[in-house]
Amino acid sequence: MISIARVALIQVLRRKTYWVLLGMGLAQFIMFWSVIYAVTQLQLPEPMKQNILREFGFSAQMDEQRDNGYMVFMERQSVVVMILLAFSGSLLVGSDFRQRTLPFYLSRRIGKRHYVAGKLLAVSSLILFLTVLPALALFVEYGAFTSGWSYWKENWRIPVAVLAYGGVLCLVNSVWLVSLSAYLQRAAPIAITWSSLLIMPGRLGEYLWKASDNEYWRLLDPWRDMRLIGQLFFGKFRKDFDRGLAWWALALIATITIVAFVALVRRVRAVDVVE
Amino acid sequence: MLLDLQKLSRNFGSVQALRDVTLRLETGTIGLVGNNGAGKSTLLKILLGLLPPSSGTGTILGCDIRQTGLQLRGRIGYMPEAAATVPLLKGGEYVALSGDLYGMPFRDARRRAHEVLNYCGLGELRYRRLDEYSAGNLQRLKLAAALVHDPELLLLDEPTNGLDPAGRMSMLHLLEDLIAETGKSLILCTHLLKDVERLCKQVVVLHQGTIAKSGPIEEMTRAAENRYEVHWRDVSSDFLPRFRGSGGQVLHQEEPSEALVALPENWQPKQLFELAAQCGTVITRLREDDEDLERLFMRLTAKETKGTQELTA
Repeated sequence: MISIARVALIQVLRRKTYWVLLGMGLAQFIMFWSVIYAVTQLQLPEPMKQNILREFGFSAQMDEQRDNGYMVFMERQSVVVMILLAFSGSLLVGSDFRQRTLPFYLSRRIGKRHYVAGKLLAVSSLILFLTVLPALALFVEYGAFTSGWSYWKENWRIPVAVLAYGGVLCLVNSVWLVSLSAYLQRAAPIAITWSSLLIMPGRLGEYLWKASDNEYWRLLDPWRDMRLIGQLFFGKFRKDFDRGLAWWALALIATITIVAFVALVRRVRAVDVVE
Repeated sequence: MLLDLQKLSRNFGSVQALRDVTLRLETGTIGLVGNNGAGKSTLLKILLGLLPPSSGTGTILGCDIRQTGLQLRGRIGYMPEAAATVPLLKGGEYVALSGDLYGMPFRDARRRAHEVLNYCGLGELRYRRLDEYSAGNLQRLKLAAALVHDPELLLLDEPTNGLDPAGRMSMLHLLEDLIAETGKSLILCTHLLKDVERLCKQVVVLHQGTIAKSGPIEEMTRAAENRYEVHWRDVSSDFLPRFRGSGGQVLHQEEPSEALVALPENWQPKQLFELAAQCGTVITRLREDDEDLERLFMRLTAKETKGTQELTA
């Protein structure tokens, strides 16, 4: 399983175009890093600090008024992740079906569960490197630049929530992408379908919400659903109504993920090994 | 004992891919041949422990084929027919990955990958990406990936398929050396019967889900003393019916004026000429049958197919 994931990551890192996307993710991380550095280390007037924080939607603490800064960072990184995954699905999974590499894997001393787990781990690793690890690094940076232990004591829940939210992003996105790639196989159909699935329902949900004033339509937006689930871990919601909506979002995302997983397992059939 | 299958059957819905296959093979080099749809793929899947049989039992390398899929695959080196490459990977990494997937420790897999790549003549190419490999080198690479964990049995699916004559010869040389040096058992699944004749000591001919014939190739293709290929003129005569009436056998006949025949016991060709003369037929050609594997295969499968066609009609 580990070797399948390792090889998949090597494949991604060998394609130069993916470095552009990884660079975009890194640029965002550096930007947030600089913001934290500016507000903690530079001798700036307090209103200016607040302006900077507001501009970036960043709050290092749990905040009722604003989203938690680490979550905002992860959400913004998710856009990069979404684009990266849209183009890497074909390379990581589609090619195994297209070039009939599945026989190579499944005729070795592994079962299809190892293959599936390896591919999910590979995709999850990409998401982890772009969202969770930098968010934790930012948390550590803020804490390191703050004197005393109070920041760590008061905000111990943040890294736990970052890990939990990251876990949701990894699990959901990896299962969806690997399933989609196993069926569509080629880069263009995967990229188009992946983007459509993640963007179009959200737009539709927003339109229906505005037209009918029914907040439940917004559950059609998978990114927002994942953010709501993340907020369950961070424990803070902008509106009380969102707390109830988060459980619906969890049920919806879990259902789709289970269906996608079952479809994936059915697609990876060991009996196809020898033709 | 390499494998021992007892009344093995496999159904896919109403289609019976294998029917009561009973087969016992000792270790050695075995060719598995058959037409498309003969059941070769199904048998391979079962031998690899990927597909359970619908009925019947069997062991391969002493492992029960119903229960020991992963363990079994760890002892078999499988070379797939398809390209089966991992994009952007280098040759050495591909073989090492194969070692990892066979459960070898990380370092051992890498060390062994370099060894087998050198053995297969790819030492210089190990740092090249797979998309830069020629068809011949890719086949060698897949062989290296199958050899990396030093398996007891090699299962090669069309190893010379798609190669030019030089590439094919080179691959056959490599396999011959491998068999001679390591003494590994090998099951070669191919349509190229010349390859089977060259590499294998035994052959299994599958036809319509059953074993049409199996055994040592030498015995099966040895020219029978009383078997002849006969050509004659005047097809309207009752030469063949009278030949049959005398206890002779017509083994194979495609044209009305030629046949592969087995003479009755104690007959010499002289008696055949005498019979032809009595029937007013002139034998224009008579030669001892030196049936090779290809002709044997054609005879076995054509006879069965013809029988089936007649039944269908």
